[in-house]
Amino acid sequence: MAHAEHAATPPAILQEVKPAVLPRAVMVANNRSFSWITEKICGIIEGKTPTWWWVCFILACLVASFTVAGIAYLIATGVGVWGHANPVNWAWDIVNFVFWIGIGHAGTLISAILCLLRQKWRTSINRAAEAMTIFAVVCAGIFPVFHVGRVWYAWYLFPIPNSNAIWQNFRSPLEWDVFAVSTYGTVSVLFWYVGLLPDLAVLRDRFYASGNKLRSALYGFFALGWRGSNRHWSNYEMAYLILAGISTPLVLSVHTIVSFDFAVSLLPGWHTTIFPPYFVAGAIFSGFGMVLTLMLPLRAIYRMEDLITQYHIDCMCKITLATGTIVGYAYAMEFFIAWYGANPYEGFAFINRAFGHYAWAYWIMISCNVITPQFFWFKAVRENTSFVWILSIFVNVGMWFERFVIIVTSLARDFLPSSWGYYSPSIVEIFTFFGTFGVFSVLFLLFIRFLPIMPMAELKAVTPQADVHGGGDHH
Amino acid sequence: MSSTHAAIASAALPAGSSTAATASKALTVGIVGLVLTALGVAVTPDKHGPVMSYLVGITFCTSILIGMLMLILIHHIVDASWSVVIRRQFEHALSAFKWLFVLFLPLLVLAWVKPGFVWPWMDLGHELHGHGTVGTDILYQKKAGFLNLNMFTGMTLAFFAGWVWLSARLRKASFTQDLDGDIKWTFMNRQTAAFGLPIGALTLSFAAIYWVKSLEYHWFSTMYGVWFFANCIRGALAIGVIIMIWLWNRGDYKGVLNTNHFYSIGMLAFAFTVFWAYITFSQYFLIWNANVPEETFWYNLREVNHDGSTNQWWYVGLVLLFGHFFVPFLYLLSYKHKVVHSKIKPIMWWILAVILVDMCYNILPALKDGHGDSLPFLSLNLLWVLTSVVGIGGVCTWSYLKSFPTAKLLPIRDPRISESLTHHE
Repeated sequence: MAHAEHAATPPAILQEVKPAVLPRAVMVANNRSFSWITEKICGIIEGKTPTWWWVCFILACLVASFTVAGIAYLIATGVGVWGHANPVNWAWDIVNFVFWIGIGHAGTLISAILCLLRQKWRTSINRAAEAMTIFAVVCAGIFPVFHVGRVWYAWYLFPIPNSNAIWQNFRSPLEWDVFAVSTYGTVSVLFWYVGLLPDLAVLRDRFYASGNKLRSALYGFFALGWRGSNRHWSNYEMAYLILAGISTPLVLSVHTIVSFDFAVSLLPGWHTTIFPPYFVAGAIFSGFGMVLTLMLPLRAIYRMEDLITQYHIDCMCKITLATGTIVGYAYAMEFFIAWYGANPYEGFAFINRAFGHYAWAYWIMISCNVITPQFFWFKAVRENTSFVWILSIFVNVGMWFERFVIIVTSLARDFLPSSWGYYSPSIVEIFTFFGTFGVFSVLFLLFIRFLPIMPMAELKAVTPQADVHGGGDHH
Repeated sequence: MSSTHAAIASAALPAGSSTAATASKALTVGIVGLVLTALGVAVTPDKHGPVMSYLVGITFCTSILIGMLMLILIHHIVDASWSVVIRRQFEHALSAFKWLFVLFLPLLVLAWVKPGFVWPWMDLGHELHGHGTVGTDILYQKKAGFLNLNMFTGMTLAFFAGWVWLSARLRKASFTQDLDGDIKWTFMNRQTAAFGLPIGALTLSFAAIYWVKSLEYHWFSTMYGVWFFANCIRGALAIGVIIMIWLWNRGDYKGVLNTNHFYSIGMLAFAFTVFWAYITFSQYFLIWNANVPEETFWYNLREVNHDGSTNQWWYVGLVLLFGHFFVPFLYLLSYKHKVVHSKIKPIMWWILAVILVDMCYNILPALKDGHGDSLPFLSLNLLWVLTSVVGIGGVCTWSYLKSFPTAKLLPIRDPRISESLTHHE
């Protein structure tokens, strides 16, 4: 078997190898020790609840109550409380659904795809990003469930024939969404939970040592008897890799199917073949925007500059730049093919987007999604964390507007000019969507208060002292 | 090539590693292939077949080089390490871009001398099946600002100029770093990658639109550039593995490459197999599902004749489904198949073959009979496709082998070379 193995005598060319010096950025700065990492991460959970956390939590609960109130009003009254009317029968509900689902994608990308690509920088941000994924899926799920109006019939979405033996329309991508999103949510929770096991065990042991038996028992229950033996680690690594392998096609399929919600139709502006990869790139773009929005304040509050280094911020900015540029390519290609295809309806849809009644939304989208990430070309921008944070907000805003532009502008000007209309959201819709930021924040605040926000074992494995080559250039 | 490069490089190469003889053989084979293709044009009553086959050949070879260019650019932009030892071979191959331009010239000249011979929209008097001429066709009139001979020529020149220029910058920086070890060359390559990637993405997309998609100028798909990109990368990875094994067998790469280099490039080949399938399926599925005649006709041409009977292209579609996706997908799932030379090499040749079939599937159905049905796949045209590929591929191989002794086997002063040499899973 001709395996590529080292020859007995090294070839002459290797004698000449003399690499130019360009050190790799360290993943954990200032040569922090293993115990420092443990203390830093566990300290957040073990310490007294800070005042800012309570302020944010109460505020988040208040904001979340808008969603609760909006939904309660909708259930009591009917979907007429939303601003939908012919021809725009889909608007903020599906916009918000796609927006939140898209945000979740960065978590899976960081935890699964970057894991398969052996990108070590993911370790500082993957736990929080995975949590973000799950909470984003929760927020996303609210809209399709409640947009059915009579929510007590939402179970009709599942493949169970109703009383007249009528099955769901399996040819509808909305039905595929049910399977895709529920599978995605399940696997994301599993992936997150498996990654948490070693850290939950650390917390169990630390609470036990400090005499807090109740919390020790609670963390111990969820740690599933983790002892950190070689066998445990071996099984853990294999399970993690398998879940990464499963999650990778899953995350791509979810947003592909979301793109099919539109692309399988005949509506100008929706029916275009580039939608699947374009939606996936957009989802990663928006997800990284949200990761930056969340991680930069966390980094500042908990003084985690040694764990989330400038290198991590650089990497996140560059991925945002790359995916934003891919999204820009898709916008340009759509526009070009709308002209090249010479279909007057398709051409009108795109001209109408850029110069019609919703032009303001279109140009917000272009400014935020195509122009904003171009700032990340500059090192000075990437090193200014306040500015990066502001830009990340623009990315979030831009990606919401992208979905709004795609969905509403195409529907508002459909094939029948007599039915053309202008969609405006109702106050109930606005409140319901606004409240989801509260729902998301409540969940995220609970996460950072009660669970380790970074995987300690993985972080220790990427420190310079854990490098088998002695922390040199090799890895 | 500078004499300094040559002197330094030759000292580093093992005894008997001269590529001059092989280069001559490659050139001879290339010329024979080109001559046979020219003979095909001369002896075939309907010249369209050999000329379109030549378009298949040059698109196929160019796609592989574009893939190599994109892989190098991606390598630099992400500061990759494991691929440093392989990158040099891609850099040598990029030297062939200028020859591909020369070999594309006959098609450009033909476009001017005999407009519409290859791309029907170039001839306004070209008869369309059942509805007048190109010039009176409203769909052409709408696109005339883009589909005209001047634009086609200018854009084609711009594509090659962009690729040749990017290649020259990448090669210069990489080769010069071998001599002085200056880190500025690494930064220069990163800069090249930063603006080169958007240039590469746009040029390859529009090359695919102009050279291939516009053969059926009524048809449109926003996905087309991405489909072409997927084939470019798959072809480049396949040739990359073949070169790696060739150099291993020669002795050059023994002690340089390890199992993990093959595993990593095999994984990339696997990933892009899935990516190609994803792109191709999405395009087909969305068009099939919408069932709009202005889009479906492109696939109909590749499935049925005017009388409803199934044509040969339908079976070619199945070959693509199974051969371009399922076979390499299932095969490359195995770890052993990625790292054992005798296992990975055949699948890379297979991938190259099915990429060629994919190019045929996209180009050759533009050849039609009197009923407007696509001429069959199994015909003399296949011979001209093969002679074209041998001819153009031979010239590209010659260019690679000519470049090979002008630089070290490895980028010995690259800052990531040590990481690459000790690459592990």
